[in-house]
Amino acid sequence: MTFAETLVWIAQLWLTAGAVVAALFLLIGMDRIDEDARGAYVFRPLLVPAVLLIWPLVLWRWAVLETGRDNWAARHRPPRRQHLVFALGMAALIAFSLIAGLSVRQTWPAHIAPERLGQTDGVEN
Amino acid sequence: MKYVPVQWNTNKWYYDAALLLGVALFLVVFIYIAPGVLSHERPINAPIHNARAFGACAFLMLTVILCIGPAARLDRRFLPLLYNRRHFGVMTCAVALTHAFYVLNWYFAFSPTNKFAAVLSSNTSFTQLAGFPFEALGVFALLCLLILATTSHDFWLKFLTAPVWKSLHYLIYPAYAAVVGHVAFGVLQDQGNLSFAWITGIGATLVAALHVAAALKERLAGDPLGAGADWIGIAPTTQMTEGYAKIARLPNGERVAVYLNQGKLSAISNACAHQNGPLGEGKVLDCLVTCPWHGFQYNVTNGQSPAPFTEKVPTYRVRVENGTVMVHRQANPPGTYVEPVPLNTGAMG
Repeated sequence: MTFAETLVWIAQLWLTAGAVVAALFLLIGMDRIDEDARGAYVFRPLLVPAVLLIWPLVLWRWAVLETGRDNWAARHRPPRRQHLVFALGMAALIAFSLIAGLSVRQTWPAHIAPERLGQTDGVEN
Repeated sequence: MKYVPVQWNTNKWYYDAALLLGVALFLVVFIYIAPGVLSHERPINAPIHNARAFGACAFLMLTVILCIGPAARLDRRFLPLLYNRRHFGVMTCAVALTHAFYVLNWYFAFSPTNKFAAVLSSNTSFTQLAGFPFEALGVFALLCLLILATTSHDFWLKFLTAPVWKSLHYLIYPAYAAVVGHVAFGVLQDQGNLSFAWITGIGATLVAALHVAAALKERLAGDPLGAGADWIGIAPTTQMTEGYAKIARLPNGERVAVYLNQGKLSAISNACAHQNGPLGEGKVLDCLVTCPWHGFQYNVTNGQSPAPFTEKVPTYRVRVENGTVMVHRQANPPGTYVEPVPLNTGAMG
């Protein structure tokens, strides 16, 4: 099995585990931890793709809420202080990508006229 | 309030209709009207043409989305564009997925190798810039977009909490940088036409500049840090304006909005329970402040949304001392009533 095939296999395992978590969480867990979800079923299929992708995070939050360890004050503290760090980081990466990408851009030799390849060894190229 | 799949209203219908129209218009122009301008004068087949059209559209949409946030922070006139940005993001993800679909089913479809494995293994020149595997950058960006789009429902913000949800959604920054790299090491290597290079360069530079400008503005001229031990000074009473708030940062990182409503002071968290919009930038009418981002309302005396809504934000105790408005650094649990304090008093509130 190649490295790429291994990655694809891991991704399949990840999604399969996510499907199990999605079934448990959306059918059982959600009603236990969120009163606004009780009796609301139509929106739940919309949540399946996210559970497939971030199921470890879902399990962690589910456990925190089930055990009453949730810090209510934390949900009113958006991490705005990191804006500048992310803005500068993104700007630096953008500048690098553009400069590096354009600097390795190859120029076609204009003085060489294009030539259609002919038939060789009975194979049309 | 019970969850629903999508909270539609007239404004969202208009917003989404404009989005769909814009996407359709872009694709039509790209595919049928301007192939010469965009270096498609050489014959290419439909899957490649479609892949390029949807890829270019996704890049443009992502660029616009990323301009909206900082533009609204720099100038409030851009706030209406922020209103339904989530749908914009989900639609962008769908367009990017379509791009990936066309790429996968053309460039990687006709071999015994699994398509997904082929994407990851066809180019592994990670150690050199020339011929860098731009496909990997695209895969990373698409994965980020998928996480952001699928976790965009209100349930996720409430379930994960603002710090976790916001941290997760910071993925948009590396994702956009990866998209720029995907384009720069991909289609921009095409030696025939510089149109894309200009479009990409201008768009990406605009995004970077707006974000840095907005972040610097917030850092340099943002909400002041309140001073004090338990009781934190927010502003002189003379600076309070009827119907509006003063916002200040508390030592623990929270932001408080102190309102002057009918001559009395009330304080609630500045972070809306919906998507953490800045409540302190809203105006108070009939004791209710309206979040400038999505219109959620809260009673400033108890932090509760009017029925039938159930959203709540923390409240703070307020007092006036020596002509200074002060709040207690310890927030009350969301929805706790606090008796408003008359502005013109020097005694404990």
